[in-house]
Amino acid sequence: MSSVISSLAEIISFIILIAAAVAAIELYLWSHFKYHNKKLILYSLGIFFSIAFAFVFKLSGFFSVKVFSLFLIWELFLIYASKNLLKGKKYLPYLLAAPAFLGLAALLMYPFIFQVYLSFHDLKLTTIMKWKETGELPFAGIKQYIAVFTVPPLAETGFFKLLWRTLAWTFVNVFFHVLGGFILALMLSEVKAFKGIYRTLLVVPWAMPQVVAVLAMRGEFHSQYGFVNVMIKKALAIFPWLASLGITPVNWLSDYPLLTCVIINIWLGIPFMTVIILGGLQSISKSYYDAASIDGAGYFQKLYYITMPLIKPVLMPAVTLGTVWTFNNINVIYLVTGQAGGTEQADILVSALYKAAFTYNRYSYSAAFAMVIFAILFSISVSYSKFFAEKKEGKT
Amino acid sequence: MASVNFKNIVKKYNDNLILDNVNLEIKDHEFVVVVGPSGCGKTTLLRLLAGLEEITSGDIEIDNIKVNDLPPSKREIAMVFQDYALYPHMTVRENMSFALKLKRFPKEEIEKRVKEAATILQLEKLLNRMPRQLSGGQRQRVAIGRAIVRKPKVFLFDEPLSNLDAKLREEMRIEIAKLYQNLNSTIVYVTHDQVEAMTLAGRIVVMNKGIVQQNGTPLDVYRKPQNAFVAGFIGSPTMNFLKGKIKFEGDFFYFENNDAKIFLPMFSFPEAEKYSGKEVILGIRPDDIVLDSAKIDHAHKLSAVVEVIELLGHRENIYLKMGEQRILAVGEAFGDLSPNAKAEFSLNYKNIHIFDAITEKRINP
Repeated sequence: MSSVISSLAEIISFIILIAAAVAAIELYLWSHFKYHNKKLILYSLGIFFSIAFAFVFKLSGFFSVKVFSLFLIWELFLIYASKNLLKGKKYLPYLLAAPAFLGLAALLMYPFIFQVYLSFHDLKLTTIMKWKETGELPFAGIKQYIAVFTVPPLAETGFFKLLWRTLAWTFVNVFFHVLGGFILALMLSEVKAFKGIYRTLLVVPWAMPQVVAVLAMRGEFHSQYGFVNVMIKKALAIFPWLASLGITPVNWLSDYPLLTCVIINIWLGIPFMTVIILGGLQSISKSYYDAASIDGAGYFQKLYYITMPLIKPVLMPAVTLGTVWTFNNINVIYLVTGQAGGTEQADILVSALYKAAFTYNRYSYSAAFAMVIFAILFSISVSYSKFFAEKKEGKT
Repeated sequence: MASVNFKNIVKKYNDNLILDNVNLEIKDHEFVVVVGPSGCGKTTLLRLLAGLEEITSGDIEIDNIKVNDLPPSKREIAMVFQDYALYPHMTVRENMSFALKLKRFPKEEIEKRVKEAATILQLEKLLNRMPRQLSGGQRQRVAIGRAIVRKPKVFLFDEPLSNLDAKLREEMRIEIAKLYQNLNSTIVYVTHDQVEAMTLAGRIVVMNKGIVQQNGTPLDVYRKPQNAFVAGFIGSPTMNFLKGKIKFEGDFFYFENNDAKIFLPMFSFPEAEKYSGKEVILGIRPDDIVLDSAKIDHAHKLSAVVEVIELLGHRENIYLKMGEQRILAVGEAFGDLSPNAKAEFSLNYKNIHIFDAITEKRINP
């Protein structure tokens, strides 16, 4: 009982701490934003207080020139921003967005910068102790980047094979997500009775934690007790002629790990697309279909000429997101094949990256590897958005 | 071009009766306007004709061919929708040629027909625009163009002007009238606006509660409304209705209630004797209230108090109070009446409408 109370107290104090931090940030920014169009004296006052603040830091022994100059630069930036960027605008939205923005900056920007730093140095098991003691790392230049393409990140599978596999994995997954989602959404949009129940059921696998869903599915692909093989065995018992078509129980996990991962991931991804496409379908006005009926379009012509073009604006962001998610999907592959001694046959870039960093402990190499993956994804996303932006422009 | 024939059409949604035994014959080249308040079943009637809804019972014939089971595309009709339903991802040209493209017309033929329609509707310069770049009136014209290129047997218009503002609506009304003169095709036009019905129609079909109330020329419907609903629905401003009894006094018949006693000459109500002492509704249009003292029937004049006068520019609406009964009259602008003044008037006996109080059917010729 007392342990419950003490942990409750811990949680509450933590919440209060966060609230206090947010309040401090808000107050600090507010004091800057509020006076953006006031006289210069207030800025001077602000700078004076900043210096005083730094001085207090010095007394407390935290002071360093680096911290102080960084702080000064930040303060100048903030004054500039609140004077020029916010001028004539309401500052409340910025104020409200600021804590989230700062939090994201701390959680995303700092690791990113550190990663860039790592990728140009050499951190591995042999240098990590030295780094811990002295804080210094041997500079490596672009050696790590060259190694990404020449030295396999895994025991045997090299970069280009992984890249090719990743692209195939992404394409196949997204293709079937959209196809399956489209078919299901079309069916669901026709269903009138118990609409809510079907739609809820459909989202369940997607709403479930991926770890649970994937591990459950992995069990179903077990060679002896899994649902898939049990069903194949039963089918063979009833229709022996199926064996002549080459259908036999298969060791899914050890013989076809990539195929198994693809099937599981397709199963996982369809609900999301279904929900998105269903929303899109419902936003299409019925009168277009009436008009198309009168113009003489059949079911598939309506699908091709009306539904598909009109669903595009909804579908495209979903496809872009799906592409990035699938490209980056480590969960399924790691959970299905990634246990110690697991196969390398199903690895894609990100799962190889994970193994390179945390199984083979090649940190700087992995940092460079991650940068390369980031560049690939970034260019995919940019070309996607460029492509659709151009299409939009071209039409207007 | 073609005739259309509705035979005993019944349409139900579950237990909701939308159309109750509608019989309607539309001749070749006829411009028929179906008019009624919202929910009267007029749009359903049109959608049944288009094949967008299924008939519960009855037959629809186009050109004497039963089309009940034909899909919309085989009925050779074209429809203009209330919200235009222009495909938003296609240019004006693509919108107009879509139906022909589906029918695999040769490209030159499609191009020719689109050009023709575009010329008629002055859309030549807009052919490469997207629907969202067009104004409401332009969209409306594209929607009509989409119908024209198909050279259908029957044009269906479903409240085509109700999404436009008043000024544009007037312009488009003239456009549609012109279009009819040019195409000379069979048109079925649905609207709730009786002004559109009066101005456009060759024949008006007034509907209410799924039943055809009256079917006749605009003048017929205006001058001789067959029941109180039609009388009240057609005409602007609305007809005045008075409830009372027929009374025989001296040698004459009178309409009488607590507020007034109105003389009814024999020619306006020959069957008065049959209804003597019975409840009736007397209807009189605001235009048929005579205020000009030179024209008043002085022997049987009525008097009332002027309540409010609305000046409309060229004329004014004069609200008269006769006892508890409010009566609207229309007079020349800047007449000599003013609020609270006493006014004397009589009715234009030629245009009195008398309805049975129970059946609401017209009982005078």
